[in-house]
Amino acid sequence: MRQYETAFLIAPNLEEEETEKIISQMAEVISQKKGKMVKEDRWGKRKLAYPINKFEEAFYVFFLYEGKPEIPSELERRFKQTETIIRFLTVRKETRPKVRIKRKGVPVEEEATEFRETKEERLVGEEEMEKHSEEEAEDEEAKEKQEQEKDEAKEAKQDVKEKISTSSEEEKEEK
Amino acid sequence: MVKEGRNERSTFRRYFPPKKKFCRFCQRNVKDIDYKNIDILKKYVFERGKISPRRVTGTCAFHQRRLATAIKRARILALLPFVEE
Repeated sequence: MRQYETAFLIAPNLEEEETEKIISQMAEVISQKKGKMVKEDRWGKRKLAYPINKFEEAFYVFFLYEGKPEIPSELERRFKQTETIIRFLTVRKETRPKVRIKRKGVPVEEEATEFRETKEERLVGEEEMEKHSEEEAEDEEAKEKQEQEKDEAKEAKQDVKEKISTSSEEEKEEK
Repeated sequence: MVKEGRNERSTFRRYFPPKKKFCRFCQRNVKDIDYKNIDILKKYVFERGKISPRRVTGTCAFHQRRLATAIKRARILALLPFVEE
């Protein structure tokens, strides 16, 4: 049994009942095909990063389920038929993550624990990431500055001069 | 002109001393980078929506690969922009 995650966006101009209907219909597909719904997640209406079919926002729904590969294909077939679903994406979740080979004598135990890591633990890890995000924000600023600086430098010196700048950049990187 | 350019470079180097970069995902032992976690992904994208290169962020090859796919998936779902005007 594989674990899949399907996300789909429903058009924002629908009534609440209709949206509900579509979601329950799709959830039914999974149960019909003897799949097991692990998690159903609704983000509600959210602004899109770019307009899709002239819609500026959409209703986000995420299904996390286990089952045979027929389920995602059936779901996708239905998504294509339903015009009110403006975008969808299915991702196969890695049940056994690829082990990372570390060269410099990093203890192997670390990898072993990674294998047994439960979902909850993973979530905790994500939260930690968010906590640390503030520190990263500072770095980001510096990074952007650097990038801007680079861009300006490149604009100023084109052609032959650019070659020089890139070579000096390489020097820098080597260091 | 050429010399001038070099001078600019050198001042630039002095202004931003090279700092040791490290992978922020390795630091926290993150295994999967989720495409739904936009707050994190946003940090690895430039203002224009480009994926920031490894040499800028210091991310390791393993996590940069996962990061790139996560960003691309987020773009499909309009969580992140392909191009920001």
